[in-house]
Amino acid sequence: MPEHDDGSLSFKLVYYGPAQSGKTTNLLRLHDMLSPELKGEVMTMETKDDRTLFFDLLPLGFRAPSGLLVKLRLFTVPGQVAHDGTRKAVLSRADGIVFVADSDRAQETNNGEAFQSMADNCHRVGLDFERIPLVVQFNKRDLPNAVPEAEIRERWESAPWPLHFATALTGEGVEASFETLLRALYRRHVDELGLAREHGLGEDTFVAGILGRQGRPQA
Amino acid sequence: MKASAADFDREWRLGELFDAAMLARVGPPLAELLDADLAILDRGGAPLWGMPADGALREPLVLELEPAGYLASTNARPARLKCAGRMFTALLRAEARYRMASALHLEAVTQDFETLKLEHSRLLASEARYRKLSEELEARVAAQVADLETRQQRLYQAEKLAAVGQLAAGMAHEINNPLGFVSSNLRSLGQYLQKFGELRSRLPEGAAAWQSLDLDFVLEDGAELLTDCSSGLERIAGIVADLQRFSNVDRPPEELADLNDCLQHAANVAAASLPPGVRLHTELQPLPPLTCNPGLLNQLFFSLIRNAIQAIVDARRPGEVSIVSAADPAGVRVFIRDNGIGMELTQLEHAFEPFYTTRTVGSGTGLGLSTARNIVLAHRGHIELASTPDVGTTVSLFFPIAP
Repeated sequence: MPEHDDGSLSFKLVYYGPAQSGKTTNLLRLHDMLSPELKGEVMTMETKDDRTLFFDLLPLGFRAPSGLLVKLRLFTVPGQVAHDGTRKAVLSRADGIVFVADSDRAQETNNGEAFQSMADNCHRVGLDFERIPLVVQFNKRDLPNAVPEAEIRERWESAPWPLHFATALTGEGVEASFETLLRALYRRHVDELGLAREHGLGEDTFVAGILGRQGRPQA
Repeated sequence: MKASAADFDREWRLGELFDAAMLARVGPPLAELLDADLAILDRGGAPLWGMPADGALREPLVLELEPAGYLASTNARPARLKCAGRMFTALLRAEARYRMASALHLEAVTQDFETLKLEHSRLLASEARYRKLSEELEARVAAQVADLETRQQRLYQAEKLAAVGQLAAGMAHEINNPLGFVSSNLRSLGQYLQKFGELRSRLPEGAAAWQSLDLDFVLEDGAELLTDCSSGLERIAGIVADLQRFSNVDRPPEELADLNDCLQHAANVAAASLPPGVRLHTELQPLPPLTCNPGLLNQLFFSLIRNAIQAIVDARRPGEVSIVSAADPAGVRVFIRDNGIGMELTQLEHAFEPFYTTRTVGSGTGLGLSTARNIVLAHRGHIELASTPDVGTTVSLFFPIAP
């Protein structure tokens, strides 16, 4: 459940995935590309040899027509298998997840294991894995040995989660993945938080507010 | 899920990151650098350090999105106050990062600990399951062992009965022989007595009657017949005594005994029904007494001697069974050797297995050597077979002198 007090609403979104699949790069690109009303710095906790040991944090926010401050705090988990306790702690209290998979064919097993660990960890930290807003992003589309899109689509056909393809290094697909998650997040909470009713916040306004596209809501 | 004070991922307030003591250390030098008055306010504007004057200029301190607090001064140069704010924010962020990292670390360790506890309880549960399973298995094994023991006992009894049957047949033959001539002698003696009856009616004839009845011969032959009878009865008594000793009636199961006696009894019983062409040869050295069950050993030796005799019979040629005993400091050695048909290697390998037999169905239960080994093992000894086809077999036995 999002934090809701003294005129502000705070969602926690988590970028989850196998080691070196590009979770931190997603966050850095979002920081560069988005221009919401409020945008913090990417806070990178400890890293070692370019690997996240704790987490990265990107805060974003905007004010709804009602004056409600909507805050999003984007976290990444450490991908390395050894840091499962940290991963679980970061995942705790998440309101939405982007699963960043590595398109490299050699990483298919790691993707599968990370996805399974995510499902297991959700259950362990008390998240409803069946209902939590979740987007699956296949990153590193620029790799020469990336698994073809058609093959991935076929494999994930029966899964209920929206699929995105991205190249986080260039920023391609990063915002689209994030937007899909925002829309799922909005729909999940619109009623219980009275977003439209009490705060005059429609889905497009909500998405535009976070992405920083005020005045030009999506068609 | 509502974030609690222990969660790493909550937003931090200025007052928690820098307590009064820390603010009191940072505030004065900052004011000195600004060369102005200075107050540090929380996000609601309440003073945490210093006394803010009315109309003071406020510089927000932003950790994430919103001001976590303010620097306030009435007379600082705005550009310097901004610089001071950036510096102070950097300090606050460093502290926040430290707090988040340590809180996350604690949470991760707690998670790991919870996982371990869960794992531990799962292990305990599975251990309990395995213990139960192992108890069930033990009970089943015990039941099957008991069942096997019962069956083995029955087979052992059957084997014993079969041996007794064979023995009885041999004994019957042996006893029949003296019985035959004793009863024939008795018939003759009866006729001799009739002749003395006749003599009574012919007494007047005197010495002529004695002569005509040939009573000199009758007296002589009668005495001989009686001697034969008593020797025949002695033979029967001897056989019965052997049998008694052999069957170990009226004896405690464990006693100090001379194995030579056992060997001699067994040899005697075997000799009573020796097939033609088979000789028994004994070569018994003096032995120290051994604590043993003589009844079982009698049966063991008899069974081995019978096997040896059978091996010679199977070879269809005359032969000899030699029974040798010897003592050494460790114990008693017994060898039962025959020059009969011998055994192939494959037969040797299976010789001690229950139900293994080379005899035609019905003539043996196949328990002979298996039972023999059980008896030897019960005496903490060992038994070995050496055999060459068509040359013969040697059974070597060793019984340790009880410690």
